[in-house]
Amino acid sequence: MAEYAAKKLAQMLITVLGVITLVFFTLRLIPGDAASAMAGDTLSGEALQVLRDQMGLDEPLISQYLGFLRDLAMIDLGETITTRIPIADLLLRALPITLSIAMATIVLSIVISIPLGTLAAFMAHKGRNWLDNGLTGAAMIIDLMPSFWTALVLLLIFSLGLGWFPASGQLNWNNPGSVALRLALPVIVLSLSQVATLARITRTAVLEVLNEDYVRTARSMGWSEMRVLFRHALKNAALPIATVVGLSFGNLLGGTVIVEFIFTIPGVGNLLIAGINSRDYQLVQTLIVLYALLFVVINFTTDLIYKTLDPRVQF
Amino acid sequence: MNYQAPVKTTLLELRNLHTDFQTSTGTVKAVDGVSFAIERGERVAVVGESGSGKSAMAMSILRLLTHPGKVAGGEVLLDGRDISRLSEGQLNAIRGRLVGTVFQDPMSSLDPVMRISKQMIEPIMRNLRLNREQAREEAIKWLGKVGIPEPERRIEAYPFEMSGGMRQRVMIAMALSSRPQLVIADEPTTALDVTIQAQIVEVLKTLTEESGAAMLFITHDLGLVARFAHKVAVMYAGRIVEFGRVEDIFASPAHPYTQSLLGTIPSTAMLKSERLPQIPGLPPDMRFPITGCAFKERCAAAHDRCCVEAPRLSQCGIDHTAACWAPHGLGEGATLKAERPDRPNRPFEPDGSVVVELNALWKQFDTSRKMVVRAVNGVNLRVHKGETLGIVGESGCGKSTIARLLLGLEKPTSGDIFIAGLAQMVFQDPASSFNPKMTIGGIVAEPLVVRAHGSKPERKEAVRRLISQVGLDPAFAERYPHQLSGGQRQRVAVARALALNPSVVVADEPTSALDVSVRAQIINLLVDLKQELGISFVFISHDLLTVRYIADRIAVMYLGEVVEYGAAEEVFADPRHPYTKALIDAVPVPDPAIESRRTSTPLQGELPSPLNLPTGCAFASRCPMATDRCRAEKPALPTHDLARQVACHYAS
Amino acid sequence: MADLSLPATPTRKPSLLAVGSAIARHRFLSHPKVRLALVLLVPILLLTIFAPVLPMQKPLETNLRAMMQFPSIEHVFGTDKMGRDIFSRTLAGVQISLLVGFSVAAIALVFGMVLGTLAGFYGGMIDRAIMTVVDIFLAFPSLLLAIGLVSVMGTGIVPVILAISLADVPRFIRLQRSQVLSLRSRAFIDAARTVDASQYWLMTRHIVPNTLAAMLVAASIAAANAILVEASLSFLGLGIMPPQPSLGNIVRDGQTYLEQAWWISTLPGVVILLIAVGLHFLSDGVRELLDPRSR
Repeated sequence: MAEYAAKKLAQMLITVLGVITLVFFTLRLIPGDAASAMAGDTLSGEALQVLRDQMGLDEPLISQYLGFLRDLAMIDLGETITTRIPIADLLLRALPITLSIAMATIVLSIVISIPLGTLAAFMAHKGRNWLDNGLTGAAMIIDLMPSFWTALVLLLIFSLGLGWFPASGQLNWNNPGSVALRLALPVIVLSLSQVATLARITRTAVLEVLNEDYVRTARSMGWSEMRVLFRHALKNAALPIATVVGLSFGNLLGGTVIVEFIFTIPGVGNLLIAGINSRDYQLVQTLIVLYALLFVVINFTTDLIYKTLDPRVQF
Repeated sequence: MNYQAPVKTTLLELRNLHTDFQTSTGTVKAVDGVSFAIERGERVAVVGESGSGKSAMAMSILRLLTHPGKVAGGEVLLDGRDISRLSEGQLNAIRGRLVGTVFQDPMSSLDPVMRISKQMIEPIMRNLRLNREQAREEAIKWLGKVGIPEPERRIEAYPFEMSGGMRQRVMIAMALSSRPQLVIADEPTTALDVTIQAQIVEVLKTLTEESGAAMLFITHDLGLVARFAHKVAVMYAGRIVEFGRVEDIFASPAHPYTQSLLGTIPSTAMLKSERLPQIPGLPPDMRFPITGCAFKERCAAAHDRCCVEAPRLSQCGIDHTAACWAPHGLGEGATLKAERPDRPNRPFEPDGSVVVELNALWKQFDTSRKMVVRAVNGVNLRVHKGETLGIVGESGCGKSTIARLLLGLEKPTSGDIFIAGLAQMVFQDPASSFNPKMTIGGIVAEPLVVRAHGSKPERKEAVRRLISQVGLDPAFAERYPHQLSGGQRQRVAVARALALNPSVVVADEPTSALDVSVRAQIINLLVDLKQELGISFVFISHDLLTVRYIADRIAVMYLGEVVEYGAAEEVFADPRHPYTKALIDAVPVPDPAIESRRTSTPLQGELPSPLNLPTGCAFASRCPMATDRCRAEKPALPTHDLARQVACHYAS
Repeated sequence: MADLSLPATPTRKPSLLAVGSAIARHRFLSHPKVRLALVLLVPILLLTIFAPVLPMQKPLETNLRAMMQFPSIEHVFGTDKMGRDIFSRTLAGVQISLLVGFSVAAIALVFGMVLGTLAGFYGGMIDRAIMTVVDIFLAFPSLLLAIGLVSVMGTGIVPVILAISLADVPRFIRLQRSQVLSLRSRAFIDAARTVDASQYWLMTRHIVPNTLAAMLVAASIAAANAILVEASLSFLGLGIMPPQPSLGNIVRDGQTYLEQAWWISTLPGVVILLIAVGLHFLSDGVRELLDPRSR
């Protein structure tokens, strides 16, 4: 177990190092350099040189790279170039918001999708396909709705039309009720596509397991349908479902950028867009690395859980 | 057989059972009106080929079919009570309690993420109303009875920690632990090696006899039937065509299908010059309605009435019924005659030239865990021109690795391979051995194209010739593999292997994926080709009867070594290595008289792991006559100039 | 030897290709999912092609006397704050969408096919090198990777296509590689190897033809996905920049006026959805047609 985890961890570290390297050098590919790209035509040559010095762009590439690595390792994220605010401070405020949206979405979508997918699989297995067909069709369409569009439509109906949820305003953490109302629509928008994906995966995984020989064995022992479904089918299907939960977390991270933008929520996504718009490459590279790190860590964890759950995997 | 029927009380009776599968292309009547009865304590075997409906019938009894299969009509009387109308809940009180079930594939029939204890103890608690400790005791007792070593420890194992044979023992323990009155066993030994198969059959037989349970045994292996059953039901195209006591069925079969089936199995007394009788054609497509007798197209005795009206089962002896208009099927005491006269009896005379020679061949595979699997350990073999060498042994003995080495698909770790000319191969699985996107013509032509043989029209002509040489219509050249049956595909595989005029053809289990009635067609084809073309064959199989029939010389392999080598008849008539003896003993012979005289117990134990081979004789761990010398000192196979070679210290 | 010559029903063939394609077309068109896909996609395609000659306002043309008008016969999707015709702008956006979708699918298909085949077939160092890079790319959620790349490469159609392709290619490599790995051990490859067929022969005759179907299915899903990602990027202001219309930036433009003129944002979104659904049905249909079990 420990050996496997260590091996996986090493693999993960290599990937993260690769990610950091990729981000660093890609950002140095910008024509001209980051400073002139940032400044556009607004700065004189002299001012541009000051900016360059600030960003350390005149140092050799390799020492810039090593410096970047060193700073990351010491969790020294530096400051934003334009506003001179420590990036760590910005993140400390933005990250909890984004993570709460993501966690709420994961919990909500798991609670809805797994029973739904299991039921659809069970009925399809019995040859009653209406729920399965309906669910599969609805899941496909929901999955294909652009999330920014879904968000706007829900905003139009529930905030502007019915007035159920506030569309804007400060997040006041002293009043959890108001925060919940404010974050409800974003979470619903993200959950829609997550539920669609997870219900579909659950359905496929459970249906596959229901056709396995050992399910027939359990039925031949006289166990009831429900016991067979929960004790044998769902337990075996849990393994592939867990992997997909981990992977769909990546899409979820992408989705948070869009809903934060639409619902003007001061999370990491809005920070990213602001960074791009102000051409603050220090901020952008930090955030991209952060996102990748989150995604890699989540996948590492699900992989480990998956392997622990499956007795066939020997460490 | 000295079987005396106990007090005749019927345990299970099927009346006009129908089972349908609704598919997109129509309704398949998988079971089309089956009626028969099983008495208490009686073992009834149901034999038939794939698609005959035998498994669907067995699964219909407890309604274990999955969608789209559905019991469409008929009654199932268990102890006089019709259980076909019961609700799922009521049926669950019978499943596992009054009727236990053992399935075909032990590798997939146990829940992979659950310990054996969990899968066994809870049903026992429920069915026998025991508390957890008592149920655990009971489960351990049963695991011991079915022959699992150290049951107290193994009960906490997961299925993946056990071999296929061990898992099947667990399945049997599960099925029997609730003391059922009936055990339904659906091909319980098909996925297992022959020595393990013999052990499992023995366990099933002893334990049901001990508990007095009746058994419904589904199989395609007529040999097993002779060893095992009191009565036999022969199924064809969803119906029972013959039913009776096992002695009667084998001694005087009445239905042409049964008669033909018995004829297609090479018997131990058969001469090589005799052709195997073969049943022409294929079983009917069950998606379409059948008028008249389903067997008429393949039956030599078919007449007008057979095409119009389907015969019903009618009495043709005591407790013996058959569904045929002709009272004695193909004729009095007849079995199917071969379609063509026997081959000229040309006894095998090696002309001395060696086509294949393996010298001190070793092959090791490295596994991911830095362990070494020793697949082939110092094998010396020769194949002469025009000779067929049969290689037999259980899975894991290295016979398939030898095939791959011969073809150059693997490189030997050490030793050398000499081949005069070209070696070609016929693969085991007719489904994966062709590119699904290529036509049959393209497949057969591929070796010619790759080796740039001839011009395009010449190649086309060669393909036509090759396809007709293996007994197919040249028009098959334009079809795709998925449009062919298994037997037809195997013919194409032979045609492809012959394209470049090879000096030796390696056939790795070429008939094991085929149905019994088609198997004889392919065996005849190979033997005919060998005689006509003078090619050498290396025929690899676990089917000893077929190897005996087809091979001139036999090499018996165990754990990567040849333990016995010699002329086929001699090895069979007088096996000298204890393993060869055990293998031949384990093979069920389709003759109840021979089977009932069988006294020896099957070979115990399982194949040791090829990861850590013993230092002495590889077979010592299972050998009934092993001594300390065997465990310490490895017996060597004599040099290959001897006509008969045995690697045993005590072979006289 | 042909003693039991099993007859094959002779097939006539005036021209094998013509017959084959006729059957293919017939089966293709009669498949319900394919039909549904065509019902959705063909009208959109035709309207997009003929947009320049249709009697309506040009996409960039403003009309200050007809600002934020409700949908009508004249302006099917209504007008925006500058009096531009939303329908005509939407069709222009669809043009961009389709261009992005097909370019990304083609790029991903070609690179995925080549690199995935090499990695799967040769294994060893080549495989490890390719897969290490692939794993690094797969560590980014795909929309975020596209955002990151666009932030470097700038806005506009070419950077958008490149960014989305770069996010998709690794997935295609992985799919192709896993297909090749499972094909590599099939007996028909062994059969060809016993006659010393060259690696080129194995790849072109046996491997690629058997992987193409799944890759085409993946490509049509990738096209739908690329259209959604392009719209998302443009919506975030990182993709196609105004005044050039794209489905994403039309929706973004309308966001401010959601209360007064809901049609600006919602109707173009419906078109995106229809295209994506159409492409998905198409890929589903193609997959079912190519699956030998459905024959």
